[in-house]
Amino acid sequence: MSAVLRYETKLGELPTLTGTPTHYCAGCEHGTLTRLLASAVDARGARERAVLVSSVGCSVLAHEYLNLDAVQAPHGRAPAVMAGIKRVRPDLLVFGVQGDGDAVSIGLLELMNAANRGEPISIFLVNNAIYGMTGGQMAPTTPPGMVTTTTPAGRDVASTGRPIDATKLLLGLEGPSYIRRVFLPVAPTSSPDTFNARGALEGEAAIRHAFETQERGGFSFVEFVSTCWVNWKVSILESKRYAARVLAPLFPPGLYRDRFGVEGR
Amino acid sequence: MSDPPEFLKGNEALAYGALRAGLTAFYGYPITPSSEIPETLAAAFGRPSYPRFRVFLQAASELEAINLAIGSAATGARTMTATSGPGFSLKQEGISYAAAMELPLLIVNVNRAGPGLGNLGPEQSDYFQATRGGGHGGYRTIVLAPDSVAEMARMPSLAFALAFRYRTPVIVLADAFLGQLKEDLELPEVAAEAVETPWAVTGALGRERHVLASIHLELADQNRHSRHLQEKFATIGRLEQRAEDVATDDADVVIVAYGICARIARAAVVALRDRGCKVGLLRPISLAPFPRDRIDDLVLSGVRRFLVLELNHGQMVDDVQLAVAGRAEVRSVTEVGGLLPSMAALGAAVESMSDRPASFVDAEEVDA
Amino acid sequence: MIAAEEARPPRARVVVEAERCKGCDLCVVVCPQRNLHLATGFNRGGYHPAVFRYHGDRGDCTACGLCYWVCPDFAITEVARLVP
Ligand SMILES: Cc1ncc(C[n+]2csc(CCOP(=O)(O)OP(=O)(O)O)c2C)c(N)n1
Ligand code: SF4
Ligand code: SF4
Ligand code: SF4
Ligand SMILES: [Mg+2]
Repeated sequence: MSAVLRYETKLGELPTLTGTPTHYCAGCEHGTLTRLLASAVDARGARERAVLVSSVGCSVLAHEYLNLDAVQAPHGRAPAVMAGIKRVRPDLLVFGVQGDGDAVSIGLLELMNAANRGEPISIFLVNNAIYGMTGGQMAPTTPPGMVTTTTPAGRDVASTGRPIDATKLLLGLEGPSYIRRVFLPVAPTSSPDTFNARGALEGEAAIRHAFETQERGGFSFVEFVSTCWVNWKVSILESKRYAARVLAPLFPPGLYRDRFGVEGR
Repeated sequence: MSDPPEFLKGNEALAYGALRAGLTAFYGYPITPSSEIPETLAAAFGRPSYPRFRVFLQAASELEAINLAIGSAATGARTMTATSGPGFSLKQEGISYAAAMELPLLIVNVNRAGPGLGNLGPEQSDYFQATRGGGHGGYRTIVLAPDSVAEMARMPSLAFALAFRYRTPVIVLADAFLGQLKEDLELPEVAAEAVETPWAVTGALGRERHVLASIHLELADQNRHSRHLQEKFATIGRLEQRAEDVATDDADVVIVAYGICARIARAAVVALRDRGCKVGLLRPISLAPFPRDRIDDLVLSGVRRFLVLELNHGQMVDDVQLAVAGRAEVRSVTEVGGLLPSMAALGAAVESMSDRPASFVDAEEVDA
Repeated sequence: MIAAEEARPPRARVVVEAERCKGCDLCVVVCPQRNLHLATGFNRGGYHPAVFRYHGDRGDCTACGLCYWVCPDFAITEVARLVP
């Protein structure tokens, strides 16, 4: 004879996830971010007034996984599409996911100008330091010396320039109200086979703060330092170690601007 | 200043016409000879007479402008962008996406002269780019061509109606001459009935979500979507051909011309008829769909000679030839570089084709 | 010892939808108690799916949710706590 045990769900299904299996490679932060976005949208009760703009890159099918009204923008143009939606429908919560090639190379004009105008939208940048979707070519964010399919001898900064820091670029503008950089991958700890999940927790909070900033009328931007083990050509866990070792110092995480003080609340 | 004045440049008239057609959002990047469109709209922005005009923004480039426009159009708002050749080229990427996502969107191209930067004179050299889709991937848009300042003012209302009826980008193709020309006109009444946009992206409040995407990774899906777009343009081709006939009833030569060329041809028809030359004018108002049925009617009613007048190296003449299908003679008279063809040259060309030439210029000489 | 543990009901529960799992190992390496490991068998996607057990190598599941947050495939569909 055993008593019926009752369990209460602490974390469960999210209305903003469609449940469609993703096309992302195993262990990719594009997938992790998807859940964080869904969670932040649901925490705000915003599923029925949120609009997602997906970009061109591995995030191109984000609208398959997030159960929201959505528009898919041309390569690099997501900030303009978001601004075009928000300008006629200020009541909507408008956000987009972009890759580093999408936002920092081909779409830099759209990113900078939307930011400079302080468009009340939220942009989430997945910076994996490479062109993931097209098979691992050099991105504007690729660290010096990194081998990619178009820099087989390693990125030569004398010829291709140094990595562009999107967060710092935006910091040079008055327009943005909230700028944060999060190290999203699981991060190595002092114990060799143990990683921490701080990035995911921080990331979810950052998305909530970005949404709060948007709904107070400000432009918000969160850069997620990420990985792409498939194109970096290392194991999943090794990609997390590489990101911690090489990308974190190059793109230091932290809160760079919080004009409305949304993090203090 | 009266609101609005009624002696206007074509560009200004088009801007007022768009406002009266319920324009909600405008995005543009300055480029001569189209800049009076954003300038007129900027001046009108915020005036109580146009309460529906809620967004005016000078974009950072034509790329940004067309993508801002895509965002606004995705919500179902009446959205317009305006430019000239070099900017029209930059917008092609966005127009391809808008066509793929079936967004109603109005794009104005005030055609200037030449490839590259060219010059600021009138040309019709963007005819192919406008009527063949212009961007990648195989699609068509509706292309409308006004020929007067008054028609510049009327075009946005027609363009929006078609854009929403068929969920497609619509291009108004004007030229530098029409954009800058000043004429008297009566502005159209404020019409702009509300349109249903059951596909729009507005937040999935109490309904299934709407996704506007141009990616179809399953080959069968893309196949279905591309066929759907083709069928839509076939329907538009059947139902939306527009043209004006001037004295074509008994004509043995029919000039085919649009935009500023139609103005010249119209005057030539009057002058040549005075001399006993049986000439008429067919003025395509929709360049896409091309009014091929009207050409067919003319061929069937016995017209054996067509003369196509345009400001390019001969582009619309291909469409005339396709419609004529070898059943009549088709000749091309062109001018480029921002110059307009002379009435004399046009008259000579017509007379050289006519059964009863009035012969005031040596036809062979003009032909050579 | 074992008998005593079994007598006490699990205070937390983690549900892994094995067919969604891509065997990326992230939940395994972030779980402070080592409650998850990859199965030796395969799911239909050809991955070794994560398997949950309440008694981990380093302790019992605390329903901390870290595995849930890092899983890129939403394969961890529920983290629940026993209602006392
Ligand atoms: C105009 C245009 N140029 C190039 C491409 C090809 N392309 C698709 S995704 C991509 C880069 C993606 O890299 P990133 O933005 O870093 O996204 P990731 O896949 O790494 O997340 C490129 C170049 C395209 N789709 N459109
Ligand atoms: S290619 Fe790279 S960025 Fe894209 S899903 Fe795979 S791991 Fe992620
Ligand atoms: S909830 Fe926490 S303790 Fe339980 S399995 Fe997940 S990570 Fe481990
Ligand atoms: S994190 Fe998710 S996908 Fe990866 S092994 Fe664990 S359950 Fe499977
Ligand atoms: Mg990338």
